[in-house]
Amino acid sequence: MKTGGKSYVSSPPAFSNDGKRLLVCTGNTVSIFSTSTGLQIASLEGHTAPVTSVIVVPASSPASKILCYCWTASLDGSIRHWDFSVPDLMKKVDIKMPIFSMTPKPEFVAVSSVGKFIGIRNKRKLHIWMVPEKDSGRSVSKKIALHHTKNLTVLAFHPSKRIVAAGDVTGRILVWRGFGYQTFSVSDELVSGRLVDKEEERPGVRGNDDADSCSTWHWHSAEVNVLFFSSDGAYLYSGGKEGVLVVWQLDTGKKKFLPRIGSPLLYYTDSPDPTLSSISCADNQIHILKMPSMEILKSISGIKLPHSLPGIYEGLYSGFAFDYSSGLVALCTENYGIQFYSLFNDRGIYEVQVCERNHQPADEITVVVTFVALSQDGSMMSTVEAKLPEEGIGGLVCLKFWALGSENKKFSLSTVIYEPHRDAGISAVAFHPTRNVAVSSSYGGDFKLWVCNDEIQEKGLMLQNSGWACLAVGAYKKKPMTAAAFSCDGSVLAVAAETVITLWDPNKNVLVAVIGETLTPIVTLSFAGNSEYLVSVSRGSKPQLSIWSMSKLSLSWSYKLHIEAVACAVNLSSFAVLALLPESSICMESEPSFQGRDGIILVFNAMDPVPVSTWSVKKAKGGGVAFLQGYTSSLKQNNSDGNAQQELLVYINSDREYILFDPYGNEANELGMSQQDGLVEFEETEKFGYASIYGELPKLNLTRNQTSLVPSVPSERPWESIFSGSSHNLPPLTKLCSAFLESLMEKRTAVVE
Amino acid sequence: MAEPSSSFKPVKPKLKPKPRTPKQTPESKYWSSFKTHQIPNLISSVTSINFSPTTPHPFAATYSTSLTLFSPQTLSPSSTISSFSDVVSSASFRCDGLLIAASDLSGLIKVFDVKTRTPLRKLRSHTRPVRFVKYPVHDKLHLVSGGDDALVKYWDVATETPILELQGHKDYVRSGDFSPVSHELCVTGSYDHTVKLWDVRVADSKSVMEVNHGKPVEDVIFLPSGGLVATAGGNTVKIWDLIGGGRMVFSMESHTKTVTSICVGRAGKVSGEEGRENRVLSVGLDGYMKVFDYGRMKITHSMRFPAPLMSIGFSPDCGMRVIGSSNGVLYVGKKKTKEENVESGVRSFWSLGQEERRVMRPSYFRYFQRGQGEKPKEGDYVVMRPKKLKLAEHDKLLKKFRHKEALVSVLDGKNPENVVAVMEELVARRKLFKCVENLNNEELGLLLMFLHKYTTVPRYSSLLMGLTKKVLEMRIEDIRGSEALKDQIRNLKRSVEEEIRIQHSLQEIQGIISPLLRIAGRR
Repeated sequence: MKTGGKSYVSSPPAFSNDGKRLLVCTGNTVSIFSTSTGLQIASLEGHTAPVTSVIVVPASSPASKILCYCWTASLDGSIRHWDFSVPDLMKKVDIKMPIFSMTPKPEFVAVSSVGKFIGIRNKRKLHIWMVPEKDSGRSVSKKIALHHTKNLTVLAFHPSKRIVAAGDVTGRILVWRGFGYQTFSVSDELVSGRLVDKEEERPGVRGNDDADSCSTWHWHSAEVNVLFFSSDGAYLYSGGKEGVLVVWQLDTGKKKFLPRIGSPLLYYTDSPDPTLSSISCADNQIHILKMPSMEILKSISGIKLPHSLPGIYEGLYSGFAFDYSSGLVALCTENYGIQFYSLFNDRGIYEVQVCERNHQPADEITVVVTFVALSQDGSMMSTVEAKLPEEGIGGLVCLKFWALGSENKKFSLSTVIYEPHRDAGISAVAFHPTRNVAVSSSYGGDFKLWVCNDEIQEKGLMLQNSGWACLAVGAYKKKPMTAAAFSCDGSVLAVAAETVITLWDPNKNVLVAVIGETLTPIVTLSFAGNSEYLVSVSRGSKPQLSIWSMSKLSLSWSYKLHIEAVACAVNLSSFAVLALLPESSICMESEPSFQGRDGIILVFNAMDPVPVSTWSVKKAKGGGVAFLQGYTSSLKQNNSDGNAQQELLVYINSDREYILFDPYGNEANELGMSQQDGLVEFEETEKFGYASIYGELPKLNLTRNQTSLVPSVPSERPWESIFSGSSHNLPPLTKLCSAFLESLMEKRTAVVE
Repeated sequence: MAEPSSSFKPVKPKLKPKPRTPKQTPESKYWSSFKTHQIPNLISSVTSINFSPTTPHPFAATYSTSLTLFSPQTLSPSSTISSFSDVVSSASFRCDGLLIAASDLSGLIKVFDVKTRTPLRKLRSHTRPVRFVKYPVHDKLHLVSGGDDALVKYWDVATETPILELQGHKDYVRSGDFSPVSHELCVTGSYDHTVKLWDVRVADSKSVMEVNHGKPVEDVIFLPSGGLVATAGGNTVKIWDLIGGGRMVFSMESHTKTVTSICVGRAGKVSGEEGRENRVLSVGLDGYMKVFDYGRMKITHSMRFPAPLMSIGFSPDCGMRVIGSSNGVLYVGKKKTKEENVESGVRSFWSLGQEERRVMRPSYFRYFQRGQGEKPKEGDYVVMRPKKLKLAEHDKLLKKFRHKEALVSVLDGKNPENVVAVMEELVARRKLFKCVENLNNEELGLLLMFLHKYTTVPRYSSLLMGLTKKVLEMRIEDIRGSEALKDQIRNLKRSVEEEIRIQHSLQEIQGIISPLLRIAGRR
């Protein structure tokens, strides 16, 4: 089992004292990256809930720069002290309350670096306290307020002078100079003497605010998220939603830019090394900057986060595709690209720009990469991008085919097809399992088969001319085609025409059969491995998971389930679905360990309507599942097996966090090993009460799963879940009662041991 | 790790569909790189074209009763010889380019000095019109000629006497050529369908070899190897292997009418003589010039001219291709010559005189620029200046978010692809209609002119039709107020009506064809 895809930008990172390492909070762990290579070198594991802040103990003298101690705080209520060079846990402080932030860089508390002032922003005001000196006897610290007409978002203190800067929601930056001379001054006479002449010459200062002057700079068009003074105090850095880092010369207000970072800026972190700093972006990337020149040295990129899509594309958006053999996931990114992320190594491999366009993070979304499909061997990719029209004109759908380069293993553009189905949107693209053929189905009522012709022409030098061209067009009663799939051997093409499934011979482009129908339009079609069964999913008001037998051309079995994603094993006849739990059953759950669990993964054998195994998961809406070929070097246990057909199931949730595991559960040791990872969603990979909701799980199956899973999960508490679910769905009380008592007894024996 | 794309991406027009087979092979690119000039107003059909073998390769064209020499640089007639009593049929330069022989239909062959245009010799023996005259490749003293009396004569030019009378053809002899490797072998083609190879050393005046072309032979040439002969007759061009005993190698039937003339051309890179390959260029009455690669047995290029073509010539330095048509027009294709080459040659010639270069002093302007053009040596480490991305005006404006200015600047640019690309970018930025709203009358006129021109072009119509409608809706008041804009609207209306008419007629045709297709599909 392996997890990954954590956010790197949940909280600000921290530099080590020598500036060679960057500590990043990634879920329950802290990952340490090298700033020179941008690669991960170690991780601090131990927290059981997401880490919210990390602080490196500052070096007091140049000699102590090599010391590598840090403090981390987590939502599990503990603060830990680490030596991160080893890495080794040194101390643990238990607070028993979730810790959201830790000074000196919390979310909205700012402390001036000399430690004299503390400031917070409160809507349109800035409150600043002076920290009482230790030797002074004053118990009550004084407070001033600086006013503004807009809501403030961020503030920063000047490292040496009495200057405070604040950014607001409209993008203005306010710089108050000489604040607090009246209130915080030591001698009271001086204040009254200065007070008189202050009344006239305080440009920009509102009301009775205690500051000498206030200047406003307005460049940002949207909210300012990042505000930071350089260490010498000569420059002010600001950034926001536009993804541009602006450097203001503090005395003159002149500015310089680092444009087109590509994503809203979240945090700016200075390092002890004055030439090095980092900015964290909303697209899960941390850029390491070389400072005076603002040159991006390295980028640490995490998995790309999903982005919001304009209305019409919401439903049909899948957003990712899996490469079965190499364990990569291809994700659509907000800046019109595809990121290839290695699931086994948990790092971004590379990105491909699908649409050559400058991405403005602050703008309305008008161009989207809506679909990505990979061929089974991972050598071909197809993307669909849509340009949304402005008041009905200028819309464009574009289908692109990409080929994997032989030497650099990167995809390069092969063919661009504008408006492949006139102006209709594309619902699905699927590749033929063996030949260079692809099918695209559209809502415009037709599907097209595309063929790649690799022709090598001898024209003095051998120049290769390959491209995709339309081979055939098919339509069924002018109905919108909503999904398409090739069978495992490629002899049958199944295309869903709304509620019926049409079966075609892809070689002759002849309609073979029509089967159906479902209640609501089908959104996904998939052949269950090499079996004769076809899985269809329809959503909407009457969701349905249906299994069709190809030999009988009829419905084999079906469930009324809201299915989010389907994955089929390549060689076996089993398949996995990610089902969303109905709303009612979620509200019923009161146990904290089940809160937020809104989905279950079910693994079926196509012949049998009884699920082989089930897992409950969090954040399933917008998630996905897939089977991947086992990657032996990452899972050491598999080496001894010599079983090449080992398949792993991967679940990726809506936050793009993922988990890889063996769906057949025959390796208990592997699951047990994963326990210390302390996973967010999977800390209890237990049998969830599917039976208690739907009452369909026979006893035999239940026991089989328990045997494989119980030893790995000592903290299992089935009595908590057994009564969850809506009451009318629960099995009769007589059945439940015995199970309930049994589970309680099991618990007790565990305690005794 | 992926680098962030920090460089600005300019807007790009949509890609055009690529033809399945690349239209421009390197070879056809070479042949179409000849820039065509026309020399009109020659009185009648151009009967032959011959290039001088010496540089700068002037060429002679024969037409009507005159022979004109053209200079290759200016393509203007440098001198004209018109002392012929009948139509001139053929002309041939001697190998040193000093003399030219010309034959006419009265049966007379004249030899002129090229410079002075004085007739030096008159060879009179043919009783019927002479169709061709040819100097051997390396022989300065002899000539061969043939004519309608079915005789081929081998002349001693100095004494004006025919040495040999080669008999054997049974019909008009139309053409002939000397072997490039030996000045004793010549080949002639006749209307009796045969091509005969003659050896002037053979006394019994019988042909050495004979092949049958199958059609009246219009033209015959030796290919540069000397072993192959190309013949033209009817609409075919045939390649014969003489060494292999007169075997036909290939028959090229790609002209639709009679092939009138063929010649050898060379294709390949301009630099490097060795990269050149020989081709057979043929012209015919169908107005086509075809380039035939006899190594690969393939037509590599084809070019159409608006008149039946009578003759073709190709300059020995590959710089020119001249085609004469039946209506007295010369189509001269001229390759761009490298001016620098000529110049540098001149300079190196002059620099031989002054061995030492002048010492640079600060009083010269060049002193301050010295060494800037220095080329890096083998082991030098070259510090490259970062390549500057060149942005078009509209891209610069788009980068600064000055959308209206960008639209206006690209409308000025006259490139419809770019205009549409900028419009699409503006749509993606949700700024197109704001731009349209802000255009002043003059700029609106510009936009309307563009819409008038390109709304009906299928590639752009999906965007532009909607835009036209919107523009008219939004700016109706301004259009009413201005006469100039009203004119534009009238034009626009006309082109739309025209397009509607075309669409109607296309639909009618579709209506006619679709039942036929359906019937055909049923079978």
